[in-house]
Amino acid sequence: MNGTIFALTLRQMIGRRRTLLMVLFALLPVAIAVIYRLGNEDTNQQDFTANVLLNGLIVTTLLPLSALIFGTAALGAEIEDGTSVYLLSKPVPRQHVIAAKLLAAWLVTAAIVLASTILTGAIALEGVEEQGILLAFVAATLLGSFVYTALFLLLSVVTSRALIDGLVYVFIWEGVVTELFSGTRIFSVRQYSLGVADLIADTSAATFEADLGGTGALVMMGIVSAVAITLAVRRLRSFEIGEAV
Amino acid sequence: MTSQATVEPREEAPPERSTIELVNVSRWYGNIVAVNEISFSLGPGVTGLLGPNGAGKSTILHMLAGFLRPSSGTVRVLGEAVWQQPEAYRRIGLVPEREAAYPFLSGYEFVLLSAKLHGLPSPGEAAMRAVQAVDMEEAQHRAMGGYSKGMNQRMKVASAIVHDPQVLLLDEPFNGMDPRQRLHMMDLLREVAAQGRTIVFSSHILEEVERLAEKVLVIIAGRLAAAGDFRAIRKLMTDRPHTFTVRSSDNRRLASVLVADPSVVGVELDGERLSVRTSEFAAFALAAPRLARTEGIRLLELLPTDESLESVFSYLMKR
Repeated sequence: MNGTIFALTLRQMIGRRRTLLMVLFALLPVAIAVIYRLGNEDTNQQDFTANVLLNGLIVTTLLPLSALIFGTAALGAEIEDGTSVYLLSKPVPRQHVIAAKLLAAWLVTAAIVLASTILTGAIALEGVEEQGILLAFVAATLLGSFVYTALFLLLSVVTSRALIDGLVYVFIWEGVVTELFSGTRIFSVRQYSLGVADLIADTSAATFEADLGGTGALVMMGIVSAVAITLAVRRLRSFEIGEAV
Repeated sequence: MTSQATVEPREEAPPERSTIELVNVSRWYGNIVAVNEISFSLGPGVTGLLGPNGAGKSTILHMLAGFLRPSSGTVRVLGEAVWQQPEAYRRIGLVPEREAAYPFLSGYEFVLLSAKLHGLPSPGEAAMRAVQAVDMEEAQHRAMGGYSKGMNQRMKVASAIVHDPQVLLLDEPFNGMDPRQRLHMMDLLREVAAQGRTIVFSSHILEEVERLAEKVLVIIAGRLAAAGDFRAIRKLMTDRPHTFTVRSSDNRRLASVLVADPSVVGVELDGERLSVRTSEFAAFALAAPRLARTEGIRLLELLPTDESLESVFSYLMKR
């Protein structure tokens, strides 16, 4: 890992308008939790928190979108605007470049998603037995954000349409295909994250249950992350910068 | 008739100490050939890559910088391959053409970033030296987003020389600079070259190359059209066939006089328009007014018709 590139990337991300937009977006589940607590006392708090707020809003939407924004921007923005040449014309091993970019993108993604998860869960579960839901989703979003970020970082070095391809993955593949065909869930980071949450949460199956087993989800997270990082490093080693005529 | 036989820049001997070597290098994108079977060797000093836009100059520079894999042939810088060799950047500095830099960094931070990424022992001191070398001390703490194009370019050069590279590659380095900045940058590059370093820069402007480069490589349509010191290239360009349009008080009689001059290859009289083809630009420019005066013909206009750089490149390509 290269500390100079890590610090530069953090500075790039924090200064961008998209970061502010993601912070505002992360406040949405918190606001809904507040409205829920103010207005509806009839539903099961654990059920609503786990399935609607933490799964439906954070794991399904906020987590992949944040990882997509920061994962594709970490290196993709520099490739797009031409500044990557200043990093790649230095004697820095390519695996150090990828590691620095990945950690910076993960840190920013995790900070936003975790803050939203903790605030949303704490507000929505206030006054009832928590049943390990908060810790479960903290672990799920922490690990899930790493896998998503690695995946989207890889996308940014293999295609110039990383943002669009990432949106297709999140909304078409994970949002539609894996919902229709249960066999495809093994290739869904969202399902891995939910599997981790299910492994840690102390809830009944009626309250919250994931489609993938926790151990299988953890193994898949490890495999997908390792493959994505390896491919990203390999791609960056043979990355060409020049003028196509 | 031409003096081309005396100028064979393509056959010049390789430099005693080659720091850059390309052997039969080609690069294509799909079916399009950007660089076609180019070979040359360069030693220390300033070399200009001259050619029109899209000729393949940037592609060559990017291959030298290890950013493009040659489709065939070998590229060596300081005796070693550069493709997929990040360690080579310890001895190479690159100034890319694109203006992009990090707008949120100050100029000094940008150069410091480069020093740190090179792992220099005292990055702060090295950055300060590089900033002073490009005469940017006053503006060094301003954000680069507010820099003019010329200031941006100078900081890019500072970033590229912060680690004292033996080879410095610059892609269109004078773009956007005003004349004073241009002169200053030329002085700086001459100083760097005087320390025994190899500098290669690309340009599509003849005068820039003429003023700075000791050696010139003329690249046209992906091919090396000519190579040699600038005087040889300039002579080659000057001694090529030229066409003049002539207007006088008696075009028909002037045509008959001019055709007898040894510098004239042919004349064409089309109505009121007299075109004269010559193989010796300077000799004809002197002879025409003299002959006209001797014959008592009033010369109204003597205009070379093909002085654009494109026509020069076109001629070199056809040779």
